Amino acid sequence: MHPLFHCRLLLAVTFALGQVAYADLHEQIDQAISAKAGGDVAAPATDEEFARRLFLDLAGNIPTADEVTAFVADANPNKRTALIDRLLAAPQYGRRMQEAMTAMLLERRTGSIPDKEWNKYLTDSFNANKPWNVLTRELLFADDDEGLKPARKFLGVTGREKAPHQMTQDIARLLLGRSIMCAQCHDHPNIGDYTQAEYFGLFSYLQDKPEQAKSEFESVFVKGKKETFPRLPGKEQVTIPVFTKEQVNEAKAFRPRLLLARDLPTTDNEHFNRNIANRLWFLMMGRGLVQPLDLHHSANPPSHPELLKLLADDFAAHQYDVKYLFRQIALSKAYQRTSQIPAGANPRQFAPESYRIFNPKPLSPEQLAWSTMRATGNLVALEAAGVPEKSTFGWYNYINGRVANPPGNIPDVLDLFVGVFGNPPGEAEMDFTPSMGQALFLLNERLLQHWLEPGNGNLIELVKKQTDSSVIVETMYLTIYSRRPTETERNVGIEFLTTHKARGDLALADLAWALIASDEFRMNH
Amino acid sequence: MHPFSCNSDYHEVSRRQMLGLLAGGATAGSLNIGILLTPSVAADVRQQGKQVLFIWLDGGISQLESWDPKPRSEFGGPYRAISTSVPGVEFSELVPHTARQMDKLAVIRSMSTKDENHSTGVARVQRGDPKNRGVDYPFLGSALAKLLPPPTNNLPPYMHIKPGRGGFQWQDAGFLGARYGALTLGEGKPPIHIIRPNGIDDPRDDARNTLRRQLNQQFRDKHRESDLAAYEYSYDTAEQLMKRRDLFDETGVPPADVARYGTHPLGRHLLQARRLLEAGVQFVKVTSYHWDMHGDNFNMHRQLVPQIDQPFAAIIEDLHTRGMLDNVLVVLMSEFGRTPKINTRLGRDHWPEAWSLILAGCGIKRGVVVGKTTANGAFCDGTEYDCGNLFHTIFQAVGIDAAKTEYVNNGQPLPIAHEEHSKISEVLA
Repeated sequence: MHPLFHCRLLLAVTFALGQVAYADLHEQIDQAISAKAGGDVAAPATDEEFARRLFLDLAGNIPTADEVTAFVADANPNKRTALIDRLLAAPQYGRRMQEAMTAMLLERRTGSIPDKEWNKYLTDSFNANKPWNVLTRELLFADDDEGLKPARKFLGVTGREKAPHQMTQDIARLLLGRSIMCAQCHDHPNIGDYTQAEYFGLFSYLQDKPEQAKSEFESVFVKGKKETFPRLPGKEQVTIPVFTKEQVNEAKAFRPRLLLARDLPTTDNEHFNRNIANRLWFLMMGRGLVQPLDLHHSANPPSHPELLKLLADDFAAHQYDVKYLFRQIALSKAYQRTSQIPAGANPRQFAPESYRIFNPKPLSPEQLAWSTMRATGNLVALEAAGVPEKSTFGWYNYINGRVANPPGNIPDVLDLFVGVFGNPPGEAEMDFTPSMGQALFLLNERLLQHWLEPGNGNLIELVKKQTDSSVIVETMYLTIYSRRPTETERNVGIEFLTTHKARGDLALADLAWALIASDEFRMNH
Repeated sequence: MHPFSCNSDYHEVSRRQMLGLLAGGATAGSLNIGILLTPSVAADVRQQGKQVLFIWLDGGISQLESWDPKPRSEFGGPYRAISTSVPGVEFSELVPHTARQMDKLAVIRSMSTKDENHSTGVARVQRGDPKNRGVDYPFLGSALAKLLPPPTNNLPPYMHIKPGRGGFQWQDAGFLGARYGALTLGEGKPPIHIIRPNGIDDPRDDARNTLRRQLNQQFRDKHRESDLAAYEYSYDTAEQLMKRRDLFDETGVPPADVARYGTHPLGRHLLQARRLLEAGVQFVKVTSYHWDMHGDNFNMHRQLVPQIDQPFAAIIEDLHTRGMLDNVLVVLMSEFGRTPKINTRLGRDHWPEAWSLILAGCGIKRGVVVGKTTANGAFCDGTEYDCGNLFHTIFQAVGIDAAKTEYVNNGQPLPIAHEEHSKISEVLA
């Protein structure tokens, strides 16, 4: 196995001339991106753009108006790096990662361990910066450790529990980046890399008992029964000994899923490394180097093959330190550039895979919930509202008119936003898929109207006291868009407030609503 | 080369679109999935503007107490048979209204399917029970939302009226993806967000949306377009649906209509279905539950059967007088029939061996009976038909040749109906 610890030096030498002898990962990222950019790259994002983007990506929420203003005013030349480090160290980072990884790993499936326990487990894991391989091991097998019980939710949710085929498919997609469903019945007809033998090699790992660990399979296209012990893609079969009834303890050591937890999250498992590097890159950059995220194969190469290899190897070499990888990505120019198309340029030339501009990505349902609470100035009051022991709210009953009142605490608010903006169970949330139902929600949901009524020290209550329309517009832009308005925008806002002056508070609410319902708020750019 | 490259991973277009999104033909960036048919096949498509009404009596209506009576036979029960508007064809006396509409209907009496379970049977039947390919096939409404040309009227292509709760129901869509699910009206009610809250009148709504669009225009001038176009489209379709609030507003409905259809849920829901069809909704499913009578069969059917008889006859009549029957395919069915043999609770149990369903309208012969059962009604006498046959027939009736059409799911070609079955020619016009 090549010495991964020397990869930085190795690759620094390989890259363009004029670079320092030891290039940090973020510099190597930029070298790889600019080598393939195919044209000029965009300028750095403004402080305001950068702050909003980073807060959303690392804290799961937009910054407050004060935080934006302070960041812009900060004269420290290293303030961006300082902000990255500050946000990575804050408790909101763990919550943000819990939300992102819950969506990514559970795909909105429910059941098994209560959400509260799973959420705490995941939040704590990310705040403690638990290495990704350790976390993966726990998710695959936590049967023997009561302290790790919440981890069992990964394979225990409805649809996966007692369904080894679904487990096989989901583990292959989410932990190895391979969408091998078709290979259950035959070798994949279009993707040569995905074989039925691979499918059943993984399937064998998901049996309960050692004696079940050999799987028989036959292609519906090609006659002939075959069999396999547990086997990871690209690896050898694991031989499972035969145990007598008395050899209980020996047999325990060969429980197939325990072996999977041992074998899958290892530094020499390239698929494991590349999958997670790609997925963490996706969370920051809005797009995988391999797209779709679960379709790594030789006929679907990464947009930047050397870069993916670099990220994968370096991540493994750094003991799967998630904060390290995020930090390096955040430090890169590719992450820090603006998403705005240069004036006069043709948008079509800025293909997403070129990273010549930052790729806007949609807010996740949770990010949208938190950001809307903050943007309307209701977050503080909702945080103070506390959480009841048992919720009487359910988003599905609510949208069917069976729950009288909109949610009044944060978990119920999140439940509503996830219900409306999340995907159905089993459908990965990787693309922006705006729906009519979501638009109807933003147009007509009472909760939003309520949040835009003055009260509880919220935004409307604040601006209501302000007589100068210019200040009102500026406050709204800073609070909602996390930036100051341009002159033109200021004038548009003032004109709106003047035209609709007779509506009083409602005019304020409508201006705020238009900002919240707009593209700029909906996207993380 | 497959004519339909639907939702393949190799396309820019994502296959995992959220439901509720109209399968509109608008070229809104990543929503350009209205283009389902290659030009040559589109030319063959003769089904412009076809609609479907799919009435599902969940639980299994007894064929002996409805469309295939066997009076004075071993298992026939106490009810008599009555003549219908087609000489020689008799129905149970429990369906006098529908009997008068028989001249517009086609009854298939030799359905024979394999599944006697509700849990699996319902889905099997509504998916057309194709050969297992390792994927979840779509229910009929989702299938047609995909296979028929996208409607140009900005209404959801698949709407479902049912008791209980509704919303944007993705389950029906199977491998097609959530966007081909149904807009489901629980108790016939629209999603709560279709109604604006009190205090937002038209002028306010116009003003705030005008501002929203103005803000978007500025943003779009400086950012890449396609996701943003999709977002704007979602607002457009939402506003279109809000403008059609009248579809969900019962106050304008003539009381005479309400009386004709009946004020019970199935009556009201079928009347609402008629209004949706009049408005041009492409596929309307109406579900009624509680047809699964295992005990006290004769009393229960006496109460229940009029609940379908009255509104079904009314809607056939109304579609006919409105000149819509040539364009709307009507399907009335359950997942199976009921046992001829009476059980110890004076009831009938599940009987998939021999049962009946009704087709009418677009592409269907009028006033015919296809297939028959034995004298005691226990088994089919002659050709039997399965779900596969039914789906071939339904597709053919709306102008889709199942032999020449297929789905392509991630590169996997899939027949739209069971490839070992064929259409029921005797029922097709």
